[in-house]
Amino acid sequence: MAAPMCFRGLRLRVLSWSRELPCSWCALHTSAVCTKNRAARVRVGKGDKPVTYEEAHAPHYIAHRKGWLSLHTGNLDGEDHAAERTVEDVFLRKFMLGTFPGCLADQVILKRRANQVEICALVLRQLPAYKFYFLVGCSETLLSHFYKCPVRLHLQTVPSKVVYKYI
Amino acid sequence: MAAATLPAWLALQPAARTLRAFCTAVSPATRSAIPSPRTAGRTSRYERPLRRKALPPRTEKMTVDLDWPSVYPVAAPFKPSAVPLPVRMGYPVKRGVPMAKEGNLELLKIPNFLHLTPVAIKKHCEALKDFCTEWPAALDSDEKCEKHFPIEIDTADYVSAGPSIRNPKARVVTLRVKLSSLNLDDHAKKKLIKLVGERYCKTTDVLTIRTDRCPLKRQNYDYAIYLLTVLYHESWKTEEWEKEKTEADMEEYIWKNSPSEKNILETLLQIKTAEKDLEVNKEELLGTKEVEDYKKCVVSLKNEGDNEETLSQYKESVKKLLKLM
Repeated sequence: MAAPMCFRGLRLRVLSWSRELPCSWCALHTSAVCTKNRAARVRVGKGDKPVTYEEAHAPHYIAHRKGWLSLHTGNLDGEDHAAERTVEDVFLRKFMLGTFPGCLADQVILKRRANQVEICALVLRQLPAYKFYFLVGCSETLLSHFYKCPVRLHLQTVPSKVVYKYI
Repeated sequence: MAAATLPAWLALQPAARTLRAFCTAVSPATRSAIPSPRTAGRTSRYERPLRRKALPPRTEKMTVDLDWPSVYPVAAPFKPSAVPLPVRMGYPVKRGVPMAKEGNLELLKIPNFLHLTPVAIKKHCEALKDFCTEWPAALDSDEKCEKHFPIEIDTADYVSAGPSIRNPKARVVTLRVKLSSLNLDDHAKKKLIKLVGERYCKTTDVLTIRTDRCPLKRQNYDYAIYLLTVLYHESWKTEEWEKEKTEADMEEYIWKNSPSEKNILETLLQIKTAEKDLEVNKEELLGTKEVEDYKKCVVSLKNEGDNEETLSQYKESVKKLLKLM
């Protein structure tokens, strides 16, 4: 294959000897690359979509208008075990999503203090109180035995999702 | 307290379950003044008769002079129905205000110090006073502390969030001691400084030994003390081969038997023979005031280096010696 030779001042020439040969050659059609960032963003609608404060702000607002959902020392300078904490976080979020189906009003907040884990969640009042009690006790015990450290769950109930704005 | 509002049948729970679990689990927000569940829970019509109405928040029953450390005895997340402050947090929408505290995730995210009010800290200090002892009255100045406790040990402990308390950085031990507090004569001090090399700081006269080769802190501490003991005893011994110390090994300039002494003696002898003054005595020549002055200037020049003061002193002494003034 002829290599394209590029000199300063000269336009790029792609020398293709296949043009002389009597065979069909394929061309590739490209369009401009769509470099839109889609991470953690709720796309605007007609003005009827209610979003919470957490959903309304994109990731670049973290440390400016938003805080962090998970607090631990692993990401500080010179500290270890950040990856282990992150894996635990992922598991705990999935666990909470499954244990309180349809009840979570917003993202779960995880705080670590020494070896304790405190899970703070905003829940809707979908279930009667005794079911909430059971789920809290059950998940605290399970998670404490699983992670071998005290895990505490703090629930705050709200009547409905707290709307920040409609987009 | 929240215990008063728990239904009676919850008290029948097994004894292993502590009351604390329910207090924190029963978020006071369940009792915020919100319209009846009928408007909120459309999906659970079957459970509607069982669902209790949300009670009013605890803040409505709080008096101004209540005991705050009992509301927040330990570090706990922000409970909007237990904190009687109209706190708002969040970036406001256009022509709006920051969001209220109910259901505010931002207030939950940040660490709060509601458990550390000045009143609470005073109570902590009162409780800790029983475990404190007085500073010994005899050690009332830094010099006395240094005199009685010349060795200083530096260690660091690390706390982090996670199930493990181990941190490999915690095994480092640094031992600092001033050589003036050790019983060393001239030879021992020079030998010790040669042995430790970079660990000795000349300006502060402090020997610093930093050990981290053992896995445990106490092992490193024992090793550091052992090193100090060995250095001390070794520096007092004089080996056979130390007699072969050459001038290149010397730490400082010594006048006796130095080439400079020989040179000045030769020069003075030459001057005396030129003046036909044959009654000369080497010791007498060396003992004169000008030669003593010259010796001092040369020693200071060699030891302290070239600076204006030493050079000018040298110039003056040479002029006096050779009677050029």
